[in-house]
Amino acid sequence: MTHRYIKIGATTAVLVVALTGLLWSTLREGTEYYKHVDEVMTNQQAWQGKRLQLHGHVVTNSIMRKPNTLEYIFKVQNNGQVVNARYTGIVPDTFKDTPGSEAEVVLKGTLTPEGFHTEPNGVMAKCPSKYEKKS
Amino acid sequence: MASLGSFLLLASFVVCSYAAVVSVVGARRHARRLVESGIGAFYLVCALMTAASAVMVNAFLTGDFSIKYVVHNSDSVQPLFYKITSYWGGLDGSIMFWVFLLSVFGSTAVYVNRERHRELIPYVVATISTVQMFFLYLMVVHNNPFTTYLSGPRADGDGLNPLLQNFYMAIHPPSLYTGFVGMTIPFAFGIAALASGHLDDSWLRAVRRWTMFAWLFLSFGLFLGMIWAYEELGWGGYWAWDPVENAALLPWFTATAFLHSVMVQERRSMLRVWNVVLVIVTFFLTIFGTFLTRSGIVESVHAFGSDPVLAWLFTAFMVVILVVSFGLVIWRLPLLKARNDLDSWVSREAAFLVNNWILLFSAFFVLFGTMFPTLSEALTGNRLTVAGPFFNKWMAPIALILLFLTGVGPLLAWRKSTLNNLVYQFMWPAIACVGTAGALAALGIRVWASGICFSLCALVATTIAQEFIRGANIRKRNTGTDIFTALVGLVGRNKRRYGGYVAHLGFVLILLGFGGMGFNQDTQVPLKAGEDVKIGRYTIRNTSVKVSDDGQKQMVTAYLAVFVDGKQIDTLYPAKWFFRKHEQEPTTEVAIRRTLAEDLYITLGGYEVGAQVANLEIHVNPLVNWVWMGFGILALGTGIALLPERMYSFALARMPIEAASTTALTLLLAILFAAPAFAQPGMGGDQNTRTSFYARTDFEKQMQREIVCTCGACGHANIGECRKDACGTSHQMRGELAALIDQGKGHDEIIQAFITKYGSEEMLGAPIDKGFNRLAWLVPYLLGASGAAAIGFAAVKWTRKSDAPEDNAAIDSALEERIDDELRDLD
Repeated sequence: MTHRYIKIGATTAVLVVALTGLLWSTLREGTEYYKHVDEVMTNQQAWQGKRLQLHGHVVTNSIMRKPNTLEYIFKVQNNGQVVNARYTGIVPDTFKDTPGSEAEVVLKGTLTPEGFHTEPNGVMAKCPSKYEKKS
Repeated sequence: MASLGSFLLLASFVVCSYAAVVSVVGARRHARRLVESGIGAFYLVCALMTAASAVMVNAFLTGDFSIKYVVHNSDSVQPLFYKITSYWGGLDGSIMFWVFLLSVFGSTAVYVNRERHRELIPYVVATISTVQMFFLYLMVVHNNPFTTYLSGPRADGDGLNPLLQNFYMAIHPPSLYTGFVGMTIPFAFGIAALASGHLDDSWLRAVRRWTMFAWLFLSFGLFLGMIWAYEELGWGGYWAWDPVENAALLPWFTATAFLHSVMVQERRSMLRVWNVVLVIVTFFLTIFGTFLTRSGIVESVHAFGSDPVLAWLFTAFMVVILVVSFGLVIWRLPLLKARNDLDSWVSREAAFLVNNWILLFSAFFVLFGTMFPTLSEALTGNRLTVAGPFFNKWMAPIALILLFLTGVGPLLAWRKSTLNNLVYQFMWPAIACVGTAGALAALGIRVWASGICFSLCALVATTIAQEFIRGANIRKRNTGTDIFTALVGLVGRNKRRYGGYVAHLGFVLILLGFGGMGFNQDTQVPLKAGEDVKIGRYTIRNTSVKVSDDGQKQMVTAYLAVFVDGKQIDTLYPAKWFFRKHEQEPTTEVAIRRTLAEDLYITLGGYEVGAQVANLEIHVNPLVNWVWMGFGILALGTGIALLPERMYSFALARMPIEAASTTALTLLLAILFAAPAFAQPGMGGDQNTRTSFYARTDFEKQMQREIVCTCGACGHANIGECRKDACGTSHQMRGELAALIDQGKGHDEIIQAFITKYGSEEMLGAPIDKGFNRLAWLVPYLLGASGAAAIGFAAVKWTRKSDAPEDNAAIDSALEERIDDELRDLD
């Protein structure tokens, strides 16, 4: 009987170690830091090259698009800190910079010395209306 | 009316507490009258909640804009259908709907089981009442849906979110809720068994069917959510590992595990602690899922917004559930000892055990991934997020192992499989599997994930086919009927087993569709009029970008010609619609060309009408439609397993020999005829149909609404509306209508002319809501349901004439045993 328990214990231990190891290694490449623009821009060096989800507001009248392409350059700010961002691809409907309805966005990508490089499909607009308005 | 509603909720709370207390006291003192009184109070809660729901629906229908909830979730111009569905469109109403469903299910379960499981009933009543009390408490003190404005009624409501004004979205929540709420019943019986100490397997028999029922609706709810995301959100996929999607998936994993492990307990009296724990965990996860959605603790598009008070109340309730449930389990551990040991790892119970571990691991993994951002923020201060690829990396191998077990598990013998048995069962499936793998490798198709998935699909499909063929052959030999009758009889003899196989087949098809994801292609391009873009085997040309308006909304539409090998095969119309009052949030109208092999899926991401540029997002998604069909078959299989036992066997015992094969053939033909309705991407028509024959006068508009398109592909939209899929038929019909109006014909004359020409009154109808067009997807379900209903009807009819059905049943059970033995011992 004790022999059996040793077997069960050993199997469980091996499984747990293997799964934790796998989980750890996949997590390291799969995770992204979720940060606001000001948190990152006040300490740029530390965040350069890391995968980020950057939360901020599009600066009024800052979106520029190269004609006949899907290449965008725009500015995102939060609490006074501003970052230049680049993106190529289709943008969501709510991605706007018109005064009064500047989009609140989350950008996926990495910070480079030239600005924020957004990966494909990396622009997510925070939905202005959720299922229910905050009361 | 609002105060009446509030009063009803308060009364429900009071009666609920009475039912809970009286039941427990009655059970402990063996006071039958107290218990009866508790049951009565329990039924009363159901009546009160029904009345409260009626008040709520009435408030929506009459537009009582003094109630805040009504103002937030509806307006006066909303169609009737969405006025009713607004009931569960918001947070407060959804909680109320939850309690309403729970009271109905609870009363039904208690009514059905009140004699058979008398010793459990008081505790069942107490448990369900306690759960109801929690939700009623939420409503009474915190989220009263009947809260009114102190400043007097508003003139009109804000309207339901346009994204929710969709057929799927209207029925997705109730389906999910039915699944979630249904899981409370097994939990209540589990707790009752623990509390009363009646821990034999009888409580399992009481809840098996309930769990299956709840599981079916949970699966259906998930399916509806997926198809909604695919058709409405326009990002090209159907599952994004969003926290709220995950929340609905978690109890699905554990409930699936329970449905399988319950069989091990029935047959071998093992896993008794395990089953109780699974029931508790499943219920806990439904509450946890509700908590995730309502409290705003995770970031999600689905979330209702944050609400700290609600979060604390839920946390407290969840702690109570865990402490009480697991306290009871530990207290009763001595009674829950397994009566058998695992004899061999090559046995069915071992396969089920592994299946359970994997499902449970999946649940914990998804839970971990969902909570990871919140956990990492709490622990390190840095919010770390994980995305789809992380989940996919883990869930793909897990799904493959599950698929493998789906094929292997049911063919292994209980206790221990012999080598001969293994060879007999797995020779053909193994050949099919290796053959498929070889063929895929020869064709140069990527082996990892998708290739393995397809090979395993072949393996499992072969095992299922083999089971059906062998069973039917034996039955044919024993009863001397034809193969169809034998097949139907076989399923009838052992509905759970063969229903299970059908459900497994559905699972195989779903995974086949998932496997197709490995070959997805997508691109994003700005496309000027006249320019081409190539993706996969398709060439897509932008013909033009046009703006039109139908009074309700402004529509920007891209006209795209689709070519394969230089030949035009289709025209697609992705669009953006700007609804009045919601101009800031245009809806994306996805254009999908469906085939069984792959979907061509195009959305209009942006546009410049002046320059005639369409910014397109194009996806080629192979095998997607198999996922939807798989769900249909899964539901059909579960339906078979759920059919009442006696009814079906009487029906078969009395059935004339030819009847079964006739029915089977009819059903087969019906399915074949129905198939084109959703296999066909739409009628190929000329490119001008969208702009063709717009109503010039109000009279013509009215006529266009009254006449229904007969093309058959649009789900009977009226000819004014059947424009989306380039329908040649409606184009022609609109033309005829215009000609008749030009001739000065009146309303009745025109109708008469159409009836004469098209031969029936079928094409006349009221305007049909857009969402109903998608009803085509319900066809397989409806077929399944009507088949089941027909069998049930026949059963009732034949039973009435029967004099001595018991004899038949006795013979049949002997027969069934023989078939089972023969199947097992043929080696």
